[in-house]
Amino acid sequence: MIATLLAVEGETREVFEDINLFGKVVFYVLSFIATALFLWGSWQRITKYRRGRPAGRIRRPAAAPSSNGSAPTVADTVPSNGQPSKLHTVGTIAANSTVAKRDRSMGIAHFFIFWGFITLFIGTVILTIDEDIVKIATRQFGEERSFFKGVFYAIYSLVLDTMGFAALIALVYMAARRGLFHLPQLDYRRAEEPAGGYDRRQYQLGDQLFIGLLGLVLVTGFLHEGFRIRASGFPDFEIWSPVGWLIAKGVSGAGVTLAGSDTIRTVIWWVHAVLALSFVAYIPYSKAMHMLTDAANLVTHDPTTSRRLPAPDPAAGHLGYQTVEDFTWKELLDFDACTKCGRCHVVCPAAAAGAPLSPRDLILDLRQWASTSSGNVTLLDSERRPEPTGPLVTDGTLAGDVIRADTLWSCTTCMACVAACPVGIEHVPTIVELRRSLVEAGTMEPSLQDALQNIAQKGNSFGKSARQRAKWTKGLDFTITDARKEPVRYLWFVGDFASFDDRLQSLSQTFAQILHGAGVDFGILYDGERNAGNDVRRVGEEGLFEMLVEQNMEQLTAAEFDEIVTTDPHTLNTLRNEYPGFGLDKPVKHYTEVLADLIEAGELDVGALGSTATYHDPCYLARYNELTEAPRRVLRAIGCDVVEMPRNRDNTFCCGAGGGRIWMDDSGLTERPSENRIREAAELDVEMFVVACPKDFTMYTDAAKTTGHDASLRVVDVIELVAEALDRQPALGAAEI
Amino acid sequence: MRIAVLLKQVPDLVEEFEIDDAGTDIDREFLTFLLNEFDNQALEEALLIKDATGATVDVVALDDPEVDQALYTAIAKGADRAIKLTGANGDGWLSTHARAAVYAGWLTGESYDLVLTGVQAADDLDGQLAPMLGALLDVPHVSVVVGVEAADGTARIRQEFAGGAISELDVSLPAVVGVQAAGAEPRYAAIAKIRQAQQEGNVDEVAVDPPAAASGLTIRRMYPPEKSDRAEMLSGSEADVADRIIALLRERGLVQG
Repeated sequence: MIATLLAVEGETREVFEDINLFGKVVFYVLSFIATALFLWGSWQRITKYRRGRPAGRIRRPAAAPSSNGSAPTVADTVPSNGQPSKLHTVGTIAANSTVAKRDRSMGIAHFFIFWGFITLFIGTVILTIDEDIVKIATRQFGEERSFFKGVFYAIYSLVLDTMGFAALIALVYMAARRGLFHLPQLDYRRAEEPAGGYDRRQYQLGDQLFIGLLGLVLVTGFLHEGFRIRASGFPDFEIWSPVGWLIAKGVSGAGVTLAGSDTIRTVIWWVHAVLALSFVAYIPYSKAMHMLTDAANLVTHDPTTSRRLPAPDPAAGHLGYQTVEDFTWKELLDFDACTKCGRCHVVCPAAAAGAPLSPRDLILDLRQWASTSSGNVTLLDSERRPEPTGPLVTDGTLAGDVIRADTLWSCTTCMACVAACPVGIEHVPTIVELRRSLVEAGTMEPSLQDALQNIAQKGNSFGKSARQRAKWTKGLDFTITDARKEPVRYLWFVGDFASFDDRLQSLSQTFAQILHGAGVDFGILYDGERNAGNDVRRVGEEGLFEMLVEQNMEQLTAAEFDEIVTTDPHTLNTLRNEYPGFGLDKPVKHYTEVLADLIEAGELDVGALGSTATYHDPCYLARYNELTEAPRRVLRAIGCDVVEMPRNRDNTFCCGAGGGRIWMDDSGLTERPSENRIREAAELDVEMFVVACPKDFTMYTDAAKTTGHDASLRVVDVIELVAEALDRQPALGAAEI
Repeated sequence: MRIAVLLKQVPDLVEEFEIDDAGTDIDREFLTFLLNEFDNQALEEALLIKDATGATVDVVALDDPEVDQALYTAIAKGADRAIKLTGANGDGWLSTHARAAVYAGWLTGESYDLVLTGVQAADDLDGQLAPMLGALLDVPHVSVVVGVEAADGTARIRQEFAGGAISELDVSLPAVVGVQAAGAEPRYAAIAKIRQAQQEGNVDEVAVDPPAAASGLTIRRMYPPEKSDRAEMLSGSEADVADRIIALLRERGLVQG
């Protein structure tokens, strides 16, 4: 191997061989034009991002003490934890791991196209350095020197040929995937049908142009190589360009003469050059821009923004978003980062339920609207409509006309889209900002309005008297400590549903009995507690959220406790991630974590239930807070055989109740998300559908009934199972007899 | 066009009511108070007229418990001015008669084209406020109204009758209207806007004299509904209960055979 490599010492190929001075001039002029077009298009995009407000992604502002004495906002006090380091992100980008997540074959294909073209690009840069810098510079000092020869040239040829060929194979796979596989995520039909119709054929043409251009650049490159080798009479060292060598053999076998090859080579050289330069020029106007925008978007991606929503911009003078300037530059970059891969589209519970929302459509609509209103030129990247509606609206409201109100209200904030997105788009915070506009305008359905008014007036969405909040404790044969009066280890933040819903009050009583039986020191805030505000905030009612935080923080500050525990994942999320911005500095646990610890420490003497169960991960535990194992630990400890549903852990499927959807009408859906989920579980051969969220309990007991699975599939909360396992424990001393 | 909307706070009905020691009123100490829902309809109707015609809308209230919240909410929704008449509320409940007298006293010195108020309230189920006010101000009044279209000097008013029949009336202005329902669901006021109104604190307080006029009525006794023992709770299996219902219906001759 080394011997053959050494044999090629001094051998090289001529750059611009057979291209005369005029040709060279033409080529450099074309290069200049392509580069200029590339820079102009890129600058257009950058100008658009610069219209956006700061996003705090480059350098997070340190928590500054509030100078005007007002309460600090979430934005300026949150710790920057939860974010991977920039270096780690660069590794993620290099490995294409977000692309390969949940779609391995697609990830591998993308990896080879990605590295194939990077390698070819580096190859071209090396050539440029040798040709336009090293040679010219050395010529000034006497003898012209070049490093593009010999061993270097042989390795260069082999690497470029291999990577180029891998990219070509991958492109063929990508084209077949689009053309033949009929994948639901690549179906560009909208989730909602606009009144006047729409036309997205440009999207498909754009995709075909993109793949086609990449493929033609590779094919013409290889053809040129082949004809060159044929024309130069198969010099030995050219074996290091194996693809070109094989093509040359083929050309020669087909009877193309040496002279003929030379002519064809020149023609192909020009075709290849023009295609490659066109591609460079085309990048910032098309889907190809994702090569740049996605790297930037991933590096500046903050995975915590859904769980800790950004506070509204105090400088805006209005709530929510009305103009391009209201978006952060990161959001504007999000829109350009979208590759239409459709992964968010197929995991979205709203889209699956027939609601007029698809995260993909939302992002593409915002992109078209923001690009049009910023004068960005795009090529085959627009939706067309006979009427100027949706993304074509130029004179109308952003939340309402550009994006329909019912689209925005359809979101359950389950975060499936954010978790599925390979390029770091943060859909949920953007949706909430647009909802803030709707709330400010009062555009909402009456049932939601009632819920918000109830929460504002009484601190709970049920419209019950605030004084009745702890009424459920009356059914207990002991008194729960009033955490406002006595110090406790655990402060149990009960939440609205567990306090007021008739079906859930008994679960709350059971949990209280379990804790009491295990001798756990715990207390509640009684009628001092208010709705924690997680879903209020996600509805977009920021003022009400702030009010609730103030009311709850007043109570929490006055109470003495070590940790907070709650049965409600939504409550957990805001207490754990958003309340610290308002001064809460205590750990917040889900009850399954407390139960798992108690059981494993032997504080709860549980027997084995011996049943089969599947566990439904609540979005706000699994996706928002990466809390998936504690409930499974509990289930295993009480002798349940856990069978996983296909969609589990951070790929869980929403019950449809989050983000305030529980207060809205869901009668217009074709299939409720909860019913979809129960049908998924019914495919497994299990006795129980285990939940760990009060809202899930109500949603799934209903769904089990409406789908007719309630006889065969028992919807049960972890709390009930632990209580049953406690009853199942062997009688004390029984073993000795 | 100037519109006045009269707002009143009533006890939140989700609370548990108790009778005070004197036995003539509910115990108001631990109650929470909300805007009378019909007044909220009246406010919405006024704001709809404002949206359509550019009228100014002033909200007027007595110094009822937690009334500031209602006034700021009204401002957040689009009311131009909020006026709180102080010094009229005594210690307990102010009868509708007295309330009407206070409003009339103040309104006499103002020049409103339309006075809107809720057709009734939890403590004014007989809906006396609008008619009394009309009489005291000596202007026309219409109640159980479900729509107001105001023009110069006159208003076209839709009034609802039993069975859902609607009559359309023309009434000369000024007039007093008791609103049953607005043309749209009362709008939502974002809490941030209410809090902003609160911070700006633009409620005009106007001192008024305590009402002199007496209604001629005295509350002798107030009491919760007395339980009768006529109700019979049916229990047992579904079949037993069904049999019992059928037997009862037959016994009372409500079904034949």
